[in-house]
Amino acid sequence: MDSFPVANARSVVAQAKAGDPAGFEALYRAFESPVYNLCRRICRTTEDAEDVLQETFLEVCRSIGQYREDGSLWGWIRTIAASKALMRLRRNKYRDTDELYDEVVGKAREDHHLRMDLEAALERLPEVSRAVVWLHDVEGYTHEEIAGMMGKTTSFSKSQLARAHGRLRRWLGEERVA
Amino acid sequence: MTHLTVEQLLALREPGVEPGDRAAREHLDVCDICRDEFDRLHQRVARLRALPTLQPARDRWPAVQARLVAERRALKLQRVRRIAFASLAAAASVALAVSVGGVRGTGPAAATTEISRAMERSRALEEAIDFYNPEARVLDGRTARVAQEIEDRIAVLDHELELLDVTPDASREARQLQLWRERVGLLDALVGVHVTRASNVGL
Repeated sequence: MDSFPVANARSVVAQAKAGDPAGFEALYRAFESPVYNLCRRICRTTEDAEDVLQETFLEVCRSIGQYREDGSLWGWIRTIAASKALMRLRRNKYRDTDELYDEVVGKAREDHHLRMDLEAALERLPEVSRAVVWLHDVEGYTHEEIAGMMGKTTSFSKSQLARAHGRLRRWLGEERVA
Repeated sequence: MTHLTVEQLLALREPGVEPGDRAAREHLDVCDICRDEFDRLHQRVARLRALPTLQPARDRWPAVQARLVAERRALKLQRVRRIAFASLAAAASVALAVSVGGVRGTGPAAATTEISRAMERSRALEEAIDFYNPEARVLDGRTARVAQEIEDRIAVLDHELELLDVTPDASREARQLQLWRERVGLLDALVGVHVTRASNVGL
């Protein structure tokens, strides 16, 4: 139950597996915050993130019987949340390529002299790039895992990460001096 | 000198004993500029991990709970409908046996007729609930709780009816009739809960 310990984790899981609403609520209360954070970092809007938070816990409550207790509970819940958030991006027809992003957002936004804080820079990344950055660099998923969740190739995940870091570096004013 | 690209620097951060390619690793050992870039990459990732945890603006648990309750209720109603159908078929076969085997007295025949009536009434009430479609409606907490209590009691009755179906007993029909009448009463109450939103149920 690693990063987000639940008091009496085993009994909470047992309660939830038995269909006890108190067990479901205990799971929700324990993991609401990290799940929302993950959803919000991937989804574009707070509304989408809240919807995905709700869908995630519905799925957790419905599927808790399938959770094998030898694995990390947070890891299991996190994968459900990440999949739901990525599904939401697909449903919203996210911008799939950087080329389209540049075309739509415009080169004007690529202000090389602009410096912004990391939070703003992250928010400004295209949806897919931001999702890859967050899943890889913060949540610790491998490119293979991210590719699997996105239905893309490992190369796609790697190139999205590289482009995202190129942008972050520029927007944060961290470009190298040759 | 050609410096390392972002892709190469990122590859050097991947897990493993010797991440990235060998030439890139060797370059990193001798190039201060790329070493600085690599350090900045590390720091950027560390700062990403240190970003504050965002919190939802509102508590979504009540919405999750309401959906779970609605799903549970729908499953129960499906089960109730299946049992009611099976019991109706069983009662029909009893009635047929009575009519074929001759009238053994007015008591059992009258009971069977009453059971059939209660079943019919029960089915009509379930159809009324279906028509009202409570799963598609948002219930306040009190209404949901009252409806849940009634459905739980119906489930207990259904369980008893199931047991009666497989237990030969001289007084079975009388007990069946009693249970079906209770069931009709509870379904009546459930319709009342959904229609009046728990205002006059008296539970």
